[in-house]
Amino acid sequence: MSREAEPPMAPGVGVARVEHFATVEQQRHAAVLGIWAWLVTELLLFSALFLVALVLRLQHPEAVKAAALHLKFWIGAVNTVVLICSSLTMSMAIAFSRMGWQRAMVRAMLATAALGSLFLVLKGYEYYADYEEHMMPFLALRPYALAETPASRLFVNLYYVATSLHGLHLFTGISILLGMTWMAAKPGFLARHQNWIEVYGLYWHFIDLIWILAFPILYVVNR
Amino acid sequence: MRNPLARLTDEDRARLRQHLRVPVLSFLALLGLLAVNVTLGATLPFAQVWALELAVVAVMVAVILLFSMEIRHEPPLVRLFAGLGFFWVAILVGMTLTDYLGR
Amino acid sequence: MSGTSAIESGFAEREPHIPEPTLDRPIDYLHAQSTLRSWFLATDHKRIAILYLASITAFFIIGAVAAGIVRLALVVPDGAILTNDTYNKAFTIHGVVMVWFFLIPSIPATFGNFLIPLMIGAKDLAFPKLNLTSWYIFMAGALFTMVSVVLGGVDTGWTFYAPLSTAFSNSWVLPALIGVTIVGFSSILTGLNFVVTIHTMRTPGMTWFRLPIFVWAHYATSLIFLLATPVITTALILLILERAFHIGVFDPAYGGDPVLFQHLFWFYSHPAVYIMVLPGMGVISEIVPAFAQKKLFGYRFVAYASIGLASVTFFVWGHHMFVNGQSDLASLAFSALSFAVAVPSAVKVYNWTATIHKGRIRLDTPMLYAMGYIGLFVLGGLTGLYLATLAINQHIHATYFVVAHFHYIMVGGTVLAFLGGLHFWWPKFTGRMYNEAWGRISALFIFIGFNVTFFPQFILGYLGMPRRYGTYPPEFQLLNVLSSAGATILAAGYLFPMVYLLYSLWFGRRAPANPWDAKGLEWETASPPPPHNFLSLPEVPRVPYDYPIQERESGRQHT
Repeated sequence: MSREAEPPMAPGVGVARVEHFATVEQQRHAAVLGIWAWLVTELLLFSALFLVALVLRLQHPEAVKAAALHLKFWIGAVNTVVLICSSLTMSMAIAFSRMGWQRAMVRAMLATAALGSLFLVLKGYEYYADYEEHMMPFLALRPYALAETPASRLFVNLYYVATSLHGLHLFTGISILLGMTWMAAKPGFLARHQNWIEVYGLYWHFIDLIWILAFPILYVVNR
Repeated sequence: MRNPLARLTDEDRARLRQHLRVPVLSFLALLGLLAVNVTLGATLPFAQVWALELAVVAVMVAVILLFSMEIRHEPPLVRLFAGLGFFWVAILVGMTLTDYLGR
Repeated sequence: MSGTSAIESGFAEREPHIPEPTLDRPIDYLHAQSTLRSWFLATDHKRIAILYLASITAFFIIGAVAAGIVRLALVVPDGAILTNDTYNKAFTIHGVVMVWFFLIPSIPATFGNFLIPLMIGAKDLAFPKLNLTSWYIFMAGALFTMVSVVLGGVDTGWTFYAPLSTAFSNSWVLPALIGVTIVGFSSILTGLNFVVTIHTMRTPGMTWFRLPIFVWAHYATSLIFLLATPVITTALILLILERAFHIGVFDPAYGGDPVLFQHLFWFYSHPAVYIMVLPGMGVISEIVPAFAQKKLFGYRFVAYASIGLASVTFFVWGHHMFVNGQSDLASLAFSALSFAVAVPSAVKVYNWTATIHKGRIRLDTPMLYAMGYIGLFVLGGLTGLYLATLAINQHIHATYFVVAHFHYIMVGGTVLAFLGGLHFWWPKFTGRMYNEAWGRISALFIFIGFNVTFFPQFILGYLGMPRRYGTYPPEFQLLNVLSSAGATILAAGYLFPMVYLLYSLWFGRRAPANPWDAKGLEWETASPPPPHNFLSLPEVPRVPYDYPIQERESGRQHT
């Protein structure tokens, strides 16, 4: 493999210095370090939920298995494919921003937002199907399908907490992405704020990473 | 502007290939690994299959970190931060399990 | 420096008889702009620090009043003053407000915010707007919590243990939980800002081993903010959902495990002790060399000890859970690891002591607080070893021994460091000197009042008085009355500084740039500093704490 460092930036692509930074290099470094520090906190936030899943599995293996078999395995799998595709389009947007291809970059960003939205639509359908199957134990007034194994409701409820927290991150991500796309379509954006795309891309990839963890932990390993 | 694709010069095509090679390869790798896991999950070939599934997930996470998020190009400090996060997850899980596995 | 235009628009216009100030020095951050808007939309780290200082002082007063109510109720053994219900709410408000809204943000959000950029020679923190956002998030969380207090209060204790908080309490738990959850994000963002700033914004020449220990301590604290806070956010989200929707994860009725909540809670809340203590250690490490006029002893060890504490503290949370049914294996592991905390703590204490040894000591107000800190921290730390010991812990678990122990750390440690730092950097913050005599008197009041309040609680706890009860057997009354009497002395000690510090804002002597002959970049700029901290980029060609070296014989020294 012939790679020494990142592919070089095209001419006219860069970052404008904000007053309190001494150099552009310092500013870029701060932004990358900042987003990574944030992502570390996100990792721990979700890891605590995954830990709860693990403890439930250890304490109530049969109930967790019964609950996991009721989850929509194939919707989860398709959604994973959707997010992996969105990761590709996000990587493409970053690549185009480095090459200075602004219009291609904007389209890749829109495609990313569209794929993210598709994920949320599928997720919404999955929730709807769960509702139809009486798999919403946190609804006090609605009968619960697995009522004979009380501990299963813990895992099912945890599934809702984890997936909706992930969905919230995705929804926030799509909103920010659309706002940024609107700004990024303006002339001169790549000369001033190219690193926004890079920093945002890290966040998007990381939401994918969380789902890559959540899908097996919730849907697959407990089957 | 530069679009559509047909109007790209050879030089542009070369740059495109240079920039998109890694993202496309990691995309394919992720899809392949996911296919493995979905197959394992759907067929449940043997009892302790969860261990294999988690191993596949670990590889997927590594692909995203190293290639999609380009950790291998980042300065050591950023790599340290990423590693720190996973190490602290290990502390959280490990120390909690001293309770749950010891009961 | 052309800064007159900003002043012209201020009060000079309305009161024309006041002569326009002559600018014999550059305009400072306090006077750069004077509108309300310029404060509430400030991105200058120094102004945001002042916003925090004002808000946490308000919360300190609320928490202190609640503590006063608790101590008043405990004057009599039979609960004749407060009903049990009101008593529970009083100590919960005290704990919630003091921990989440005073101790955790106290030193980092005020002094850290103000001083880190100054100490490393930066113009601001890396993300100034994020810094302001942190303050608003903090206030939003405070608002929710105050709503729960106004509506009728919470009675769960600051720890919000399930299932009391989720299934049994009839008080306003939800708004308080939401408030505390929100405040966590403020901590995370502050920590993120500090970590990035310390890594990327240091002025040329400011290498890691030229950083003041204050900055090291805040770096370690910020790591804890980042690595611990998200876990309690998750725990509190689950707790909120448990209370609102009965999801069952912490509810034994469905097979859930309340101990799991405690694990997640203490994974944050034990390291949070070091969020509260480490910045205080940073403050003491600045004050002691300045008032001994001597280089900090063992600089590198103190720096490493900060990082060491921040790491070890993540391995010991289970010592809060020795009697709750966790496995013996876990108790053994957590107990053994807890002793390790003593090592870096002791390193620091020995180094401060060695710094004082044969220094040219001046017992000004900040130094009095620092000396008080060292003594009380040693007592608090040593009693921590009792609590880490499994067998002794069985005897004194959840007694007043624990209450006394952590107040020696939190009040004897953090609050004394906070007050010491406030007096040390007050001239830098405000440009004014306070009355030194009153400063010393109040430091003495606080030291005496604190010990009279909390030392009897060690004895009470060892004799078996449990914490969190509004009534107690009559034979404990004498020590309880003593404790409550001490609290009034302590209260007086807190009130004095509020008066004379405020007084100094208008009538205090103008402070020079470096009133204490202290070392460090923050003393090389004006008091108060100009908006971007330094008029020219400072150079750092030397080691930290380069106080003049003293000869062994007294009276002779060379530089």
